[in-house]
Amino acid sequence: MSQKLIAAIRRTNRLIALLVGLVLMGSVALIIAEILLREVGISLGGSEEISGYVMAGVASWGLSFALTELAHVRIDLIRIKLKQRGKAFLDLLAIVTLAAVATIVAIQCWPVLSKTIERGSTANTPLETPLWIPQLIWFSGWLWFALCSCALVILTLVLLMRRNFDTADSLVGARSELELES
Amino acid sequence: MITAVTVSLLGLLALSIPVGIVLFLLGIGVDQFFTPFPLLRGLGQVVWSSSNSSTLIAIPFFVLLGEVLVRGGIAAKTYEALDKWFSWLPGGLVHANIGTATMFSATSGSSVATAATVATVAMPQADKLGYDPKLFSGAIAAGGTLGIMIPPSINLIVYGFLTETSIPRLFLAGLVPGLVMAVAFMLVTAAICKVKPSLGGQSRSFSWAERFGGLRHLVPIFLLFFVVIGSIYAGWATPTESAAVGVAIAMIIAAFNKGVSNEMIKMCLLGTVRITAMIMLVIIGAYFLNFTLTAAGMGRELKELLVGLDLSPMGTLLVVILLYIVLGFFIETLSLMVATIPIIVPIMTAMGFDKVWFGILLIVLIEMALITPPVGLNLYVVQGARKSGQLSEVMLGAVPYVLVMLAMIVGLIFLPEIALFLPDYL
Repeated sequence: MSQKLIAAIRRTNRLIALLVGLVLMGSVALIIAEILLREVGISLGGSEEISGYVMAGVASWGLSFALTELAHVRIDLIRIKLKQRGKAFLDLLAIVTLAAVATIVAIQCWPVLSKTIERGSTANTPLETPLWIPQLIWFSGWLWFALCSCALVILTLVLLMRRNFDTADSLVGARSELELES
Repeated sequence: MITAVTVSLLGLLALSIPVGIVLFLLGIGVDQFFTPFPLLRGLGQVVWSSSNSSTLIAIPFFVLLGEVLVRGGIAAKTYEALDKWFSWLPGGLVHANIGTATMFSATSGSSVATAATVATVAMPQADKLGYDPKLFSGAIAAGGTLGIMIPPSINLIVYGFLTETSIPRLFLAGLVPGLVMAVAFMLVTAAICKVKPSLGGQSRSFSWAERFGGLRHLVPIFLLFFVVIGSIYAGWATPTESAAVGVAIAMIIAAFNKGVSNEMIKMCLLGTVRITAMIMLVIIGAYFLNFTLTAAGMGRELKELLVGLDLSPMGTLLVVILLYIVLGFFIETLSLMVATIPIIVPIMTAMGFDKVWFGILLIVLIEMALITPPVGLNLYVVQGARKSGQLSEVMLGAVPYVLVMLAMIVGLIFLPEIALFLPDYL
């Protein structure tokens, strides 16, 4: 059961990351189109504003992928000196703190979106983007990050109670940059 | 408050809690204990406004650019070409290591990616031709650090973002020191191998025909560099726009190299999202911590502390440099930058130091941190790609290059023009 859930979370985050990557490629195309059109005198405008929204989306929706890929940097100076149980304890501490912070941030992000919806705010730009659209995407990314990290806390606890240290390590352990590349 | 923040920063990091999360926690702590304002309510707004940024999107673009070059097989071609040009010098291939690292620094934003690329391509050659593994691998680790100095540099973008400094000016300022260090690295290598030829392996020479034949593999890299950097200074494009153009050109080059496939693009995109998300969690965390520290009056407190120490600006500078060297032994570099910039840079500018100049000095210090043990990311990257031998060999091999960096720091202090000449002149 827990194995299946882990695999499902990983797969979902991978798909999300691919989607985020494609959106990035899309904004590359948009920016280049704007530069080319500018050279022939047509001003499209707005690509700067849109790429800001894209960045907010990338920065929130990418977080959960980096989480399940163990890519969030941790200083493992002390951790590598410890035995299995010590490592498992630090990993548990790390994921619990991460989940707590992610949840606090997600909760604090909600008022930004809810106020925008309440007031029907639009961006102070020629595009007059209704701000709830980019903010909804951004907020839901943080919410997903919070949900994923809370799920990982529960899964880690289950694994540790079953003394399944190896699986727990592959779920919330620490990896060096090089191990990530391969 | 300064003591409390510093001690908890180091303590939480030592517990191996993710760096970005530590910064958020500290921000929440400062809010709870040191300010009467309900700062936490501003958290959402801070997260939104720091990540909704058309400046920062240059980071994923430059990461993607580097991924495409590496996975598209362009790095390997560059290395072969440089080998033909440099292998007659004392030290032979070691120069190709430094040269390739320098060129990739110029096009991609990341030191780790650069070191990993060169190490993967170069290492198989080292044993075959009888090079001393220490110097050989040390040169790759050191050459890779140039990636954060020579523009485009992700670290300079982060510095510019956090200190509100012009990124084009920072890029210009990094160019000369970066190139000077590359040349100095090569001179030091040649000198060492002249004194002790056994370190340098057998020297080979190639015919001019072969050399010029190799040049066409360098054309794409130079083209990419000139378009990306040139378009920023010619005023055609913002750093973000030039990064987007760079991605497109890199894709075209990789396609010419027959290095593009669905699988390759997928790997590039996944790698980009992973690295970007990792960087952004740290940046957003730093931004929030910065916000709470400012509200809690950290700047005033630090200023009083420094006035109390009664140091001259030069004395303060030396203390700061020492602090970075020591912290650089232990803390991963991006984390070191974002955690300290909000605290240190205001002090330095208040003492009359130039923000652009200090940014470049900081980058040299950060480069040093990348190749000094026990936490020197590039050392581990190169060691990982070697698959044999001891980590201590890489560390020893990097020592001559650390000395070059120290010399660069002294140079920057006594001759700030090394960094400031270009941005002031243009």
